[in-house]
Amino acid sequence: MAAPVRRSTKFIKPPKKHGPNISVDEIWSKLSVNIVEILNHRAELLSYEENYRYAYNLVLYRAGDTLYKGACKLIAENLDKLAEQDIKSVFPSGSSDNAIQQSQESELLLKAVRKVWDDFTTSLLRLRDILRYMDRVYTTSARVPETWDTGLLIFLEHIIRPPFQGHIIAAILNQIQTEREGFDINRSAVKGCVDVLLSLEERNGDMTIYKRDLEPEILRESEAFYKAEGEKLLETCGAPEYLQRVESRFDSEESRTHHYLSSQTDAPLRRILEQHLLSPHLPSILHKLHSGLDFMIDGDKLDDLSRLYRLFIMVPEGLPLLKKALRESVIRRGTEINASSTGTDITSQKANEDEDLSSKAKGKGKARPPVTLATQTLQIALKWVQDVLDLKDKFDIIWSRSFKENRDIEATLNEAFGSFINLNAKSPEFISLFIDDHLKKGLKGKSELEVDLVLDKTITVFRFISDKDIFETHYKKHLSKRLLFNRSVSDDAERGMLAKLKVECGTQFTQRMEGMFHDMKISSETMEAYRKHSEQAQNLNIELSVIIQTSTFWPTMGHQTPCVFPELLIKASKSFEQFYLSRHTGRRLTWQPWLGSAEVRTAFNSGKTHVLNVSTLAMVILLLFEDLDGSEFLTYEDIKSATDIEDTELQRQLQSLACAKYKILKKHPPSREISTQDSFSFNAEFSSPLHNIKISTIASKVENADERKETKDRVEEERRYSMDACIVRIMKDRKHMTHNDLVNEVTRQLTGRFLPNPLDIKKRIEGLIEREYLERCEDRKSYNYVA
Amino acid sequence: MATEQNGATQSSDDWVRLISADGYKYFVKRKIVLVSPTLRSMLDASSNFAEAASNTCRVNERGAVLEKLLEYLSFKFLYENASLNEDIPDFQERIAPEIALELLTAADYYDS
Repeated sequence: MAAPVRRSTKFIKPPKKHGPNISVDEIWSKLSVNIVEILNHRAELLSYEENYRYAYNLVLYRAGDTLYKGACKLIAENLDKLAEQDIKSVFPSGSSDNAIQQSQESELLLKAVRKVWDDFTTSLLRLRDILRYMDRVYTTSARVPETWDTGLLIFLEHIIRPPFQGHIIAAILNQIQTEREGFDINRSAVKGCVDVLLSLEERNGDMTIYKRDLEPEILRESEAFYKAEGEKLLETCGAPEYLQRVESRFDSEESRTHHYLSSQTDAPLRRILEQHLLSPHLPSILHKLHSGLDFMIDGDKLDDLSRLYRLFIMVPEGLPLLKKALRESVIRRGTEINASSTGTDITSQKANEDEDLSSKAKGKGKARPPVTLATQTLQIALKWVQDVLDLKDKFDIIWSRSFKENRDIEATLNEAFGSFINLNAKSPEFISLFIDDHLKKGLKGKSELEVDLVLDKTITVFRFISDKDIFETHYKKHLSKRLLFNRSVSDDAERGMLAKLKVECGTQFTQRMEGMFHDMKISSETMEAYRKHSEQAQNLNIELSVIIQTSTFWPTMGHQTPCVFPELLIKASKSFEQFYLSRHTGRRLTWQPWLGSAEVRTAFNSGKTHVLNVSTLAMVILLLFEDLDGSEFLTYEDIKSATDIEDTELQRQLQSLACAKYKILKKHPPSREISTQDSFSFNAEFSSPLHNIKISTIASKVENADERKETKDRVEEERRYSMDACIVRIMKDRKHMTHNDLVNEVTRQLTGRFLPNPLDIKKRIEGLIEREYLERCEDRKSYNYVA
Repeated sequence: MATEQNGATQSSDDWVRLISADGYKYFVKRKIVLVSPTLRSMLDASSNFAEAASNTCRVNERGAVLEKLLEYLSFKFLYENASLNEDIPDFQERIAPEIALELLTAADYYDS
């Protein structure tokens, strides 16, 4: 080491000059030769140190300007040369009309541009290394860009300029177009060139050349292309195919922007697609004949529908249009269902004026016209509900699978369902009948779970009904029949249904029905006690079972026909009355025999004894024959005077005894209808393989016009009370309210049960003013509560 | 510090040869040499200059200056990422006044 030498010399040597002392021009001429070498990729032979020192010296000798300008000139010359030899040679000939050839030419051009770029950037990188000292010391003070940026600017000026620029952009557009038409292109070639444009920036500002020159062109071209494409597709294919094509267009454009364009083009390009493929064509897609929305729904084309949904929610106007179309579709289907139910109704009305409504299908299998008609109307009701349920199911599936459970769409669907269900005035009754049918015999064929499922669905339909009070009336009637005739298959199912209704409408709604269940329970307890009691007291030869109904809970049913009980019954009923009143004082019992049933043990000539299950009234009639000889007759008038049963009811009972499947009585003359001139005798020859015989009352439960009117009146009345109560409740709370507020509040509170008419509310308010619950204020617009 | 006058270690890729203007040769670990940006570009394989190809840099300085330069590079390499509480010795003390000016220009040249 040279350390000792260094230590011994005690003076500081001035730094020697770097490099040989030669002139600036000489250095530059040497350096420029080397720069050209570097630009031509022959750097391996050059010494970095040497060239770095040249540049260093030039900058040191204040010749940075010469160096910078000289380098720029060399770079520019080199680029011009490259452009000349590489790009010019592959300029598209422009003469050929052949699309494939054009595409190939474009590809070649793009590749050439990329090659020039690659060449250029590698040499520029080396140049930057050499000129590092200049970048560090000279450029900032001289306020010029550093070597690399300068190089890019030079590239911009010499390559991205007419005519090159036009050709490059045309080539890129050509490639995109080619791919859109379904041909394969060399994506990497396009990408290479696009990348070049992306990395180039304008001299001032930060806009890339891609953004400035290429993107607007691409967007313009795309717009024209898709505008034409949209119209063409709409003409040539059906809605599902159209949607499919559109979706694949979306996908391919997205992959295009990802793979070889810039992601910044993604959004504007998408907008173009939306604007030209979707927005203007949405209505035509929805309503396309034989392939539009309805067709897809009909065919349960869930995939197509999901696609439709996906595309529609892309544009702001899509969802409202879809909702509107869905609404129309649901309402149209609903109206069809409604029409099919009323349509049959009209025919049945022709057959029988009175029987325009459904009934409980009691006498199934009987060949009587009224019964069939009743069954038929019941069938209509059941079919209606089933159809509605099916429709609901269908749309639910579509909604959950295809529409991604969109809340807006759900609301629309519900609204549509509600509107068509409420269009059918009988819907509350139909639904009640449907539930009745399932609770009555549903469990036979289905498991409890299945019935539960069906009932759950029914509840969803029930939700749409606005006149819930009408439903309540019908449901109560059906429920009471099920309870009294012991028809409901399972108590649990009944209670389950009740619980469901309670959840839907609150306690108030089900209070009375629960009261009915309660009555049933109390009754059976009472009977237990009575049986014990009667064992001790006198022994009657009939077994009595009484159901005590609290009069406000139970609907009044049927005609309240008077009926004269035979001795036997009077005794029994008196004994029960005594027993009951001794336990509960201050109550009144009213017998309602038309709701009861009886089992009569009868011996026939065949030697067999049959147990006949008949209605109480029929039993009363049968008892008349008990003391008669087999050959004796009773005329219609005899029976009537003995029992005092009303004509229509009596005829019905006789019909079921004498003209139905099991003929316990003989009618003279035999025919299907009962007339007041007929006479009857006991049919001792009757025989049947069955021990227990159930004789149902014929067509008794048809709700005819009168009954309907009655139901309606009752509902009207209840509504009046509800409105009164509601108004008073509100006014008691608020003391003072304007008319409009009051009407709104009443409507709001009552909509759970029914939709009150503002006019009716007004009438009720007037009534209340008359009865001095309220008073009108001086401004004539509001009311005060009078305590 | 690995300054050797003769090529005792056969050059693997990790070693670089530096030759001073007056003929001294130094074998230095590449990672230490690369601390200087100038030397880094000189040896950059992608631009592939003669220095990179031969793995040898001719440094236009006296041996004494070059040695101090290399000493500084390894000093910088060692302490560049030192934690705050570590005791960093002062490098100034090690610079002999007689080479200070030359070292200054060299430092500018090698950007370190």
